[in-house]
Amino acid sequence: MSQWLNHVLERASTVDDWLSPVRAQALDTLKQQQWPTRRTEAWRYTSLHPVADLELKSGTGNVTAEAPIIEGLNSLDLVFVDGQLSTDISKLKLPEGITISELSAPSEPAEAIFAQVKPSRHLFGLVNDVLAQQGVVIDIAANAKVEQPIRIVNFASAGIESHQRTLVRVGENAQATIIEHGSGSGNSLNTVFAEYDIAEKARLEHYRFALHEGEAIHIGGSHFKLHDHARLNSTLIGYGSQLTRLDVDIEHAGEHAFAKFNNVYLLAPRQHFDLHSTIEHASPNGTTEENARGIIGDRAKAVFNGRIHIHRHAQKTLAELNNRNLLLTRGAQINTKPELEIYADDVQCAHGATVAEIDEEALYYMLTRGIDKQQALVMLNFGFVQEMVFQMPNKALADWLQPILKTRFESMMEKQ
Amino acid sequence: MLSIKDLHARVEETTILKGLNLEIKPGEVHAIMGPNGAGKSTLGYVLSGRDGYEVESGSVEMDGKDLLDMEVEERAQAGLFLAFQYPVEIPGVSNMEFMKESVNALREARGEKSLSSAEFLKKAKEACKQVELPLDFLKRGVNEGFSGGEKKRNEIMQLIMLEPKLAILDESDSGLDVDALQVVANGVNSQRDGKRSFIVVTHYQRLLDYIQPDYVHILSKGKIVKSGGPELAKEVEASGYAWLAEAEGADA
Repeated sequence: MSQWLNHVLERASTVDDWLSPVRAQALDTLKQQQWPTRRTEAWRYTSLHPVADLELKSGTGNVTAEAPIIEGLNSLDLVFVDGQLSTDISKLKLPEGITISELSAPSEPAEAIFAQVKPSRHLFGLVNDVLAQQGVVIDIAANAKVEQPIRIVNFASAGIESHQRTLVRVGENAQATIIEHGSGSGNSLNTVFAEYDIAEKARLEHYRFALHEGEAIHIGGSHFKLHDHARLNSTLIGYGSQLTRLDVDIEHAGEHAFAKFNNVYLLAPRQHFDLHSTIEHASPNGTTEENARGIIGDRAKAVFNGRIHIHRHAQKTLAELNNRNLLLTRGAQINTKPELEIYADDVQCAHGATVAEIDEEALYYMLTRGIDKQQALVMLNFGFVQEMVFQMPNKALADWLQPILKTRFESMMEKQ
Repeated sequence: MLSIKDLHARVEETTILKGLNLEIKPGEVHAIMGPNGAGKSTLGYVLSGRDGYEVESGSVEMDGKDLLDMEVEERAQAGLFLAFQYPVEIPGVSNMEFMKESVNALREARGEKSLSSAEFLKKAKEACKQVELPLDFLKRGVNEGFSGGEKKRNEIMQLIMLEPKLAILDESDSGLDVDALQVVANGVNSQRDGKRSFIVVTHYQRLLDYIQPDYVHILSKGKIVKSGGPELAKEVEASGYAWLAEAEGADA
């Protein structure tokens, strides 16, 4: 057992709010959990040693911060500092068809979604269930087409532990764009879990930027439930830090749902990044396209576990999962495991994982245009993840992210 | 400007070029025709320095310098351009950054200042317009999802941007309809300035109706077996390449 988890259990009993009945259930489950070791399958390549005896303070709510500016994005920003909401929601000018409330205020969508979309197997998800008192609940009305992106920003400061929750319901035939934008580099622990219920024919464009670095410990998840004909386009970008662990679950609960999930990790030397994704095809005629691409710097370690589970009745499922990695040095490490579990007989599935080598033909082509070999290699290597950025539907976000990732990559190459 | 003497080259264990000679002066357009397997594409790859294409003997000088002693990128920096028969797709690199990097690498090699973003964009827009490629092609991945014709036009766009001393066009006509062929040819012709030289490699005479060559050479089994003026292309058009076999039969 870990000191830290014991402390979580103690603190959980002091949390008293309208969600207490649900939290009590989560607490029961949590109490039955073993502290993961390297023998625990879900944590096989990620050591929780940095968390085991961690003692940090909670956020005070006295600190405010401005959301990072993204030119041309014009997003509606909800800013959290150390798990405390610093935006005054009551003063926001909301687009039509959208309601935003705090988690602490009882609401029907929160009741319908809290701990209902996220599977209970995630240990830190349970921790978040019992401790997260701050968060936002976003409700998009049926048929509302919300053009303005909604961005949930979270900063994690050094010395602070925080737990934050996001609940989103996209109503029938509605459309919305939600960005989870997290950062922090000091010694901190923050868990951020988000649950999305996407109703029939609704569309969600989703981004999660886990731009945590250095000593930050960031553990979280984004969990989606897709109903009939729902569409999800999600892009996840991770930097890796002392410890970053994200779990993504996409459940095809309804028929004819579509999910595209691209993710990129770009690990500076000695950073750690772990992504576990699980796609549940529980209904027929669903489509999933998942692409994970990573570049891993010296002595950095990436873990990718991508599971697609096609249930017995989920006929006519189309599912593709691809993971490609580029190791910048011999000290860089990737542990990748794509898993397909298929119980239906009429499906089309493909999966693969590679540790990439340079495309010699593309290199030759670039050299014939007079580009120096070193520069051509930088462009090709970066191109490998840039391709995912090009696919982001929101151009303002892509234009903002591209140079940031490029600069990061160039400095990774220099530090070799 | 280009002098190829007795060039022998092989791919793996097979010798493809078997004693090729060619002299090109500034401003000249030389067409190289020949049947499949004659070594037409090999010539472009050998001149550009592709890995796996090994020179066994012979020499190639460009502007008096030993071309075969240069790296691939140095040859480009020295003014050689190869328009690919099958241009390569590079999905994660945009056409724009690819061209910008390339243009500036060549400018640097010539001792010229890099272009500013605005200057580059202006030039790129003009080049796109000339080969009738929509501007959004600049933002797309290099050749990514382009049709065959679009890829060929993209090669000519690059030719226009890079202003080489010698351009080798490797079957730039293959897979094009008449309209696209016209666009490609116009792009090439716009770059004929009396100084820039061209090697136009083609299987068919059709392209040469649009790009008038000064000389036509017939390549067969790794050597030039016949040279002449534009009229030679017409002969090929009329009689095909079957006479080559007969001629070789007579030689033996």
